[in-house]
Amino acid sequence: MNAAADIELTVTEIQRFCMHDGPGVRTTVFLKGCPLRCAWCHNPETQSPERQLLFYGKKCIGCGACSICQSGAQVFGESRYIDRDKCTVCGRCADVCPASALQISGSRMSVSRIADEAEKDRAFYGEDGGVTVSGGEPFFQPRGLIALLRECRKRGLGTAVDTCGYFDPSYLPDAVPLTDLFLFDIKDTDPDRHKKYTGADPGLIIKNLYAADRLGARIRLRCILVNGVNTDEAHYAGVARIAASLHNCDGVDVLPYHAYAGTKATFLGLPDNGRKEWIPDEDTVRRARLVMNGKL
Amino acid sequence: MQFPSANGIKRPVRCGEGTRNFAYESLGHKYGLQCRETPGVELRGEFDDPLKKHDAAIRAICEQAPVRICEGELISGSATLGNAIKHVIPADHNGAPVFMSMSHLTADFFTPVNEGLDSVREAALASYEKYKGTEKEAFIKSCLSVLDSFDIWHKRYLDALRDKPEYRANYEALLRVPHKPARNFREAVQSLWFCFAFLRLCGNWPGIGRIDVLLGPYLKKDLDSGALTLDEAREILAHFFIKGCEWICGGDYGSGDAQHYQNIVISGIGDDGLDVTNEVTYLVLDIIEEFGISDFPTSVRLNTRSDEKLVRRVAEVMRYGGGVLAVYNEDLIIRSLVSYGYPVSEAVKFANDGCWEVQIPGKTYFTYCPYDFLQLLQHNTLKDYSPDVDFPDFETLYRAYLSDVKALLDGLCDAVRGRFVSENPWVWRPEIPCTAVSLFEQGCVEKGLSYLQGGPVYNVISPHVGGLADTVNSLYAIKRLVFEEKKLSWREFAAVLRDNWEGNEPLRQYVLNKYEYYGNDSDGADMLCRRFLSDFADLCGTLDGRTGYRFPGGVSTFGRQLEWAPHRLACPYGRKKGEILAANASPAPGTDTRGATAMIRSYCKNDLGKLPVGAALDVKLLPSCTAGDEGLDALVSLLRGFVTLGGFFMQPDVADAAVLRDAQAHPEDHQNLSVRVSGWNARFVTLNSEWQRMVIEQNECGCGY
Repeated sequence: MNAAADIELTVTEIQRFCMHDGPGVRTTVFLKGCPLRCAWCHNPETQSPERQLLFYGKKCIGCGACSICQSGAQVFGESRYIDRDKCTVCGRCADVCPASALQISGSRMSVSRIADEAEKDRAFYGEDGGVTVSGGEPFFQPRGLIALLRECRKRGLGTAVDTCGYFDPSYLPDAVPLTDLFLFDIKDTDPDRHKKYTGADPGLIIKNLYAADRLGARIRLRCILVNGVNTDEAHYAGVARIAASLHNCDGVDVLPYHAYAGTKATFLGLPDNGRKEWIPDEDTVRRARLVMNGKL
Repeated sequence: MQFPSANGIKRPVRCGEGTRNFAYESLGHKYGLQCRETPGVELRGEFDDPLKKHDAAIRAICEQAPVRICEGELISGSATLGNAIKHVIPADHNGAPVFMSMSHLTADFFTPVNEGLDSVREAALASYEKYKGTEKEAFIKSCLSVLDSFDIWHKRYLDALRDKPEYRANYEALLRVPHKPARNFREAVQSLWFCFAFLRLCGNWPGIGRIDVLLGPYLKKDLDSGALTLDEAREILAHFFIKGCEWICGGDYGSGDAQHYQNIVISGIGDDGLDVTNEVTYLVLDIIEEFGISDFPTSVRLNTRSDEKLVRRVAEVMRYGGGVLAVYNEDLIIRSLVSYGYPVSEAVKFANDGCWEVQIPGKTYFTYCPYDFLQLLQHNTLKDYSPDVDFPDFETLYRAYLSDVKALLDGLCDAVRGRFVSENPWVWRPEIPCTAVSLFEQGCVEKGLSYLQGGPVYNVISPHVGGLADTVNSLYAIKRLVFEEKKLSWREFAAVLRDNWEGNEPLRQYVLNKYEYYGNDSDGADMLCRRFLSDFADLCGTLDGRTGYRFPGGVSTFGRQLEWAPHRLACPYGRKKGEILAANASPAPGTDTRGATAMIRSYCKNDLGKLPVGAALDVKLLPSCTAGDEGLDALVSLLRGFVTLGGFFMQPDVADAAVLRDAQAHPEDHQNLSVRVSGWNARFVTLNSEWQRMVIEQNECGCGY
């Protein structure tokens, strides 16, 4: 086995039969670790690059198997909770939890093992489908990402990368030729709001977008739509301008905010930060979709 | 006028207002309710012979059944007696139906349409000469008598149509067909319909089979000559479909009011190995798309070379929901039939029994015997979890189970021997008279034997595994927990199961969550499933040659998981007593978590070619995952992948549990919402509440992210 295929990545999940992460049927690999801290994050378990303990309270049957905890993080009593400061994420409680109410997010998988998983649905990929690397931010594990893309390419599996755009540009020349399609997030075109809601300046993101474009990347823009935050015409028009200025833009996907994001945060022991008022209505989504795609 | 769809997409309008109205009324129970008003005919007098009683009943039906001409209909003939909908010959004698009727066969409509029904009479006359004075004479006389009755019924339609100028074309077609070979598309459709309607009039529920192979050449000729346009042809064929709904009555039927085993098969390869797909194939899809008629569940024969245009069109029509379309992988099926012993020339003709079980149409006696294999495991092998039973290792347990399966199959074979008077040579007993279908089954007239007496060319009794996933999952959980991890002994585990998991919730959660069961593309359980089905098929093979029947195996439940549920004990894989479990060859509800592709892969790991009758996989898809161009691509990919991986039969259904729940609460708003049950569809509102609940639960486990 070659060394590149042995490189390991931290993966939260490999999801099969995905229809909305690029063309055709896709297997989406969610990698752990992200430089952004979006207020609306839909995959909060992928923010930290470290292993994390997830607790699904609804699945818990209160059997107490997790009391094997050596660090005193599992706290029982009337309000069962996990003392996350004490938790070492050793994973022993997750191993013994019969209900899978406790689970470890983030397992190390070699490039070849990930590709083997993706290989399983080869019969369904047809000409368009394949692997989408998502996250988190795939470029947070840049060497592993490039090795994975190379391995997929070697095996004849289609490749897509779903990126937030905030990464070290020096990896682009390697990544672009190995990637059939970039799903490139533009979260906001207003720099101040971008900084406020994601914690990062959009400058690097835009710079990377055009760098990828110059390298010949095929790009689909992906725009989260958060009602009252970026549902203004200026933003729509801004996205449309960017899309029009790219050499090889495949179109713009509008992704409406979903309140389930908040529920997912609770599994990490964080408060439910889902905000119903952020869910855009159908008309708003429709309009954003049309304007951003230059159809209005 | 709205014809419902699962995803809210409006169905296209192609047919004229009159045809659409006709469809709306027919789907709205108009004709079914009329049928109910005339349940059947009354036979008087005494009969010394069952065959004579049968012939008198058929004659009375043909003389007395109401003649119905529907306004604007383009083809004529109607099965107007309500008791036929109850699967009996609609004639009573001394207050009871005279005889049961036949189903689970696709009749031979090729002979009457292409060669004319007169050719059947000629064959019967030839047989009469041959068998005169033998014990077969009575059956041949019955054949001639039923043909005479047919003529009476046929003449009554001619009389009714003769002086009505608006039905001139119907009249002229019927002047020729079905007695003489059809000359054009309209005559061919009329001939097919009239024979089909006759069989139904006499209470039988035949399947249609390969309608595009039958009608395609007639349409091509008419289109080439300009005698007919495609739009005109669509209207004519639509009337065939609409008239096929004439038994719909609404009301609570338990398993639904649209299951009269009238399956249609389209596409696939022909006798010459070339693709048969033609304009009729696409017209069938157009009609299903426009009206969502679910009474003719339609199966598409796909192969690795199927035209992209066809596969996309199939996916497009599937998206409306209703589960009207299902798919066969004919590459595997033809290979399977040939290796089972059918000549290639027969195997390529395969259709089904009117449901989804594969057969050689028009020449096969078919019945299937469904068994609850989970109950067999629980009751026979594990002795209802008795403390007195133990197994040193998994292999011993598995072999004990196989010997119970063998005993079951041997028992079936022994019971079948009762159908014969002598074993060498095999001589069939006199059976229930069934002359009408015998006339439409190759072999019967020639051999002088009825459909039930070994008349057809092939005689098949198919043992079916029911509860496949539950059985395999149960075995797998025992294997892992007791014999590999040794968490507890079998005796201890049996005690837990005897108590229905009471007080053992952590252990129950453990087996539910820590093992991957059949349907997740995980080799542990999947390979056990493969091994078991392969052993089952081998055991079926040992029955062949012992009687005049063959015993190819299959996998099905057809909704029986509902009636079996109360008799089943707690399952080793975490299910409690009485839960509704897996359908057909599908995973157990809630145990498959990796999506449709993983499920299809698990199913395809089985050596499905060893089960020539078939194993059905139900795939429930949410409308959201088939929406838009991406959804269409995904559906096409699923169909292609299913074929590539070597599947047998797949029934995808696009339905939203929320919509189904609304239909439960407001049936009046969803009269024609249909769902796939198994080899048939049901209008959801005509299912009883238990069936509705089961369908909703299955759809709540629908695939798609």
